[in-house]
Amino acid sequence: MTGPNRGGILNRFRLGLLVLAPIVVVAILVAFLPPDGNERAEWLQFIGRFHPLLVHFPIALFLLVPIFEILARSDRFAYLRLSVIFILALATLGATTAALFGWCLGRSGGYSGTLITQHMWGGVFLSVICWLCWLLRTQLREFGVTYAIALVMGVGLVAWTGYRGGQLSLGRNHLTEHMPSGLRNLLGVEDSSAASASSADPNTFYGARIQPIFTAHCINCHGADKHKGNLRLDGYRALMRGGKDGVVIHTGNIQGSDLFRRITLPVGHDDFMPKGKPPLTPNEVKTIELWIGAGASETLAVNAIKSAPSGSSVPAEVKFEEIDPATVAKLRSAIAPAVSQLQKQFPNILDYDSRGSADLRLNASTLGSKFGDRDLETFAPVAEHIVIADFSRTAITDASGAAIAAMKRLRVLRLMDTRLTDATLLRLETLSQLESLDVYGTAATPAVLPMIARLPRLSHFYAGQTSIQPGKSVPESLVGKLVF
Amino acid sequence: MSDSKVRSQTPTDLRTRSGSSIEVELAVLQARTRRHFLRSMGGGLGTLFLGTLASKFVPSAKAAGAEAAALDFSRDARTPLSPLPPQFPAKVRRVIYLHMAGAPSQLELFEHKPELKRFDGQDCPASFLAGKRFAFISGVPKLLGSQYPFHQSGQSGQWISDRLPHIEKQVDDICFVKSMRTDQFNHAPAQLLVHTGNPRLGYPSFGSWVIYGLGTENQNLPGFIVLLSGGKTPDGGKQLWSSGFLPSVYQGVQCRSHGEPVLYLDNPDGVSRSLRRDMLDTIDEVNQQTYAALGNPETVTRIAQYEMAFRMQMDATDAMDIRKEPDSVHAKYGSKSGQASFANNCLVARRLAERGVRFIQLYHWGWDSHGADAKEALNLGFNDRCREVDRPTAALLSDLKSRGLLEDTLVIWGGEFGRTPMRENRGGQEMKYVGRDHNPGAFTIWLAGGGVKSGISYGETDDMGYEIVKDPVEIRDLHATMLYLLGFDHHKLNYRFQGLEQKLTSVKPARVVAEILA
Repeated sequence: MTGPNRGGILNRFRLGLLVLAPIVVVAILVAFLPPDGNERAEWLQFIGRFHPLLVHFPIALFLLVPIFEILARSDRFAYLRLSVIFILALATLGATTAALFGWCLGRSGGYSGTLITQHMWGGVFLSVICWLCWLLRTQLREFGVTYAIALVMGVGLVAWTGYRGGQLSLGRNHLTEHMPSGLRNLLGVEDSSAASASSADPNTFYGARIQPIFTAHCINCHGADKHKGNLRLDGYRALMRGGKDGVVIHTGNIQGSDLFRRITLPVGHDDFMPKGKPPLTPNEVKTIELWIGAGASETLAVNAIKSAPSGSSVPAEVKFEEIDPATVAKLRSAIAPAVSQLQKQFPNILDYDSRGSADLRLNASTLGSKFGDRDLETFAPVAEHIVIADFSRTAITDASGAAIAAMKRLRVLRLMDTRLTDATLLRLETLSQLESLDVYGTAATPAVLPMIARLPRLSHFYAGQTSIQPGKSVPESLVGKLVF
Repeated sequence: MSDSKVRSQTPTDLRTRSGSSIEVELAVLQARTRRHFLRSMGGGLGTLFLGTLASKFVPSAKAAGAEAAALDFSRDARTPLSPLPPQFPAKVRRVIYLHMAGAPSQLELFEHKPELKRFDGQDCPASFLAGKRFAFISGVPKLLGSQYPFHQSGQSGQWISDRLPHIEKQVDDICFVKSMRTDQFNHAPAQLLVHTGNPRLGYPSFGSWVIYGLGTENQNLPGFIVLLSGGKTPDGGKQLWSSGFLPSVYQGVQCRSHGEPVLYLDNPDGVSRSLRRDMLDTIDEVNQQTYAALGNPETVTRIAQYEMAFRMQMDATDAMDIRKEPDSVHAKYGSKSGQASFANNCLVARRLAERGVRFIQLYHWGWDSHGADAKEALNLGFNDRCREVDRPTAALLSDLKSRGLLEDTLVIWGGEFGRTPMRENRGGQEMKYVGRDHNPGAFTIWLAGGGVKSGISYGETDDMGYEIVKDPVEIRDLHATMLYLLGFDHHKLNYRFQGLEQKLTSVKPARVVAEILA
């Protein structure tokens, strides 16, 4: 660099010219042997699989260059300028190698389509730009405009090529897929899952039932971006055209359809599809089977096949909520001391409704006649937290009426085979949350029915073995709620 | 683990060296084998090494978080069955499981298949036989239409045959699952799968998991009671109510269906209750010493069982004594005190449910309708089975309902697999009686009670009732659903064994059948 021969570019950039050769080779490969969706040569794939691993080194190196250049403008970091050329040389070598590996992967891995083409040319041009920057930097003592433009273009190209690569491996909409809906609206990004589903006519069996199955399970490898085995399943015509081994669906011939054969093979079989992914659900397989059997038509009406498994391919799911111990402790803090005191005094009959709740469940029925009015009194401190109470066969009497009426949040109250009478029942109008009231085998009379009928949430009133009789004097609103 | 306990107890041994502690010391020495030495050598060094690694690489905060997420089922060792709240607010508080051992034919009871009737007597199509394995069918069997007429019933209009006239009256409270599926086609493994979630021996039964998770409210009765009828123990044997790797205190307690419910529960002549108490106190003391010395949790189980037996002397006899029921009730159930029958057991089940027993399991044997002899023929013995269970089952449902108990009880009725739409042809020949072979591919069970939709059918089989065409339900899905009704995420009802957080639904993903939840 400090040599006298300033014009001897051949001399000073000998290595650079040498590197130009592989860049040209890669460009020729990409131009004349592009990826065509066929899988070939195991060893080519083996080498190709190292592309994602290698590709990040030149990226990191290249991004260092503008950072160094900017920092080097201040005297404190001027020394960084000295390493720029070396870094550019490394980045060029790295980018070229990565591009070569990338071609191996693209050519042999069953890729084709615009995404892969753009990604590949992005890689090739990035090599060229690296090389160009290297060349320019070697020539320059000062920061030139051409060099600056080349650098900026290089950074842009890194981002663009990386984005295309991401789309190849993670899906076309990988950046917006999990975007919060608020941000999505703000940026005007449309929900691509909805967009892709609408490509087929939703009023046809194919559009409503078959295409969604392919979209969910298959088009990552057999779609617009990758068509492994030269097969695309992202549209009816592509589906019926088949792949490199010929037609995959024979209309009306279920067993002869290669697609059906593959999705019904045992998981782990060489030909099983979707390869390396969970198999289709029995309902999905059944749906496809019935559709092929019915002629695999594009225009068959959505409800034409009666025996098709119902509805969406996604079954209903229950949600299990997480319990946070701290929240629960806080929720229970007001009653916890009283509850643990009562639990000591009356083991096994009082507990929380669930592990995440501060509601209580009181079941005195297991104590039978050993549980009386005095015992019930001691539960007064927690009365408003009791949501389910069972006093069946206990010795409580009407003296406990007030204590029960104070349990304002009761949902279920069982008084089966107790000595309670109408006197207690008539006080229960305070229980506005009550859904189920059980007075089986008590001295309850029809006199309580008008009051019971006023309980707003009551759905079951168990009045067997009492003087209440079906039909007779039952208020309109209690019909269907009375159980004998 | 047990080594450290043994070692830490040594000072106690020294302190009580005199007298009976010699035996204890001997037991300690006997309990210590060469295996302990080798294990503490190799295991100890290995653990030291892993410990240093772990402290470097495992962020302790993460470990603490994982601990918090696991549910705690630990209890005072003296009260292993004390109740615990469910994970979530639960619709169901207790389960009555009516297991029809031998696999009743869904095609004679719940599955109305007019197409099958149309093809009755014709050769079974080859596609039904390809790749299938049967217990007895060989060659090309004939299709067999339902032996009994079907009709729609109840406000829900569900199809049912004329064999179950009493259960039919409760049909609006019932949720049929017609698309049950299993992967076992022999009785014992299929029953094990239904009960333990696993076709092999050694896994805890569903009832054991439930009382492990929830305990039981009535400490004077076992939390998990088993009653047998039909003259035989199910093919799966006592394993069906075993606690597997759970502490044995969680196993089902089989009670006798006639005579004394539990043998030797009464005190012998001349032994008063207080004398019995003194005796138990002394035994407890000895057991406590053994536990202190050896730390075996099974010792605690034994102490707890003695105590429960003592409490049961009062309550079990009363709970099982159906003589106390009025005649009208006996008429309703068809029960007769003093005999072993499904009817008696149903009545006992209701009495146990009232008394807060968590899991009540009834078995009725004799549904294996192959047609090899009269007792197991669809046109003979099958009728008897129907008669034996129909009235009491219906009585149990209506009794629970009128007492308000059905709203938090889950009643399950079903066998271990289904039966084929083909007539069995043992040895390739037409048999003397009419029967069907085992069909693991599709069978029907029904549920009733808390949290379950009533008056519906879920799932469908093909026109021959042979294979499921809609909404298949695996045994593990049923288990997950049952646990969900009891207030548990089936992933979280765990017990650590062999290095795994073991669970009822085993390792394959199970689904809560949300469609049948009310």
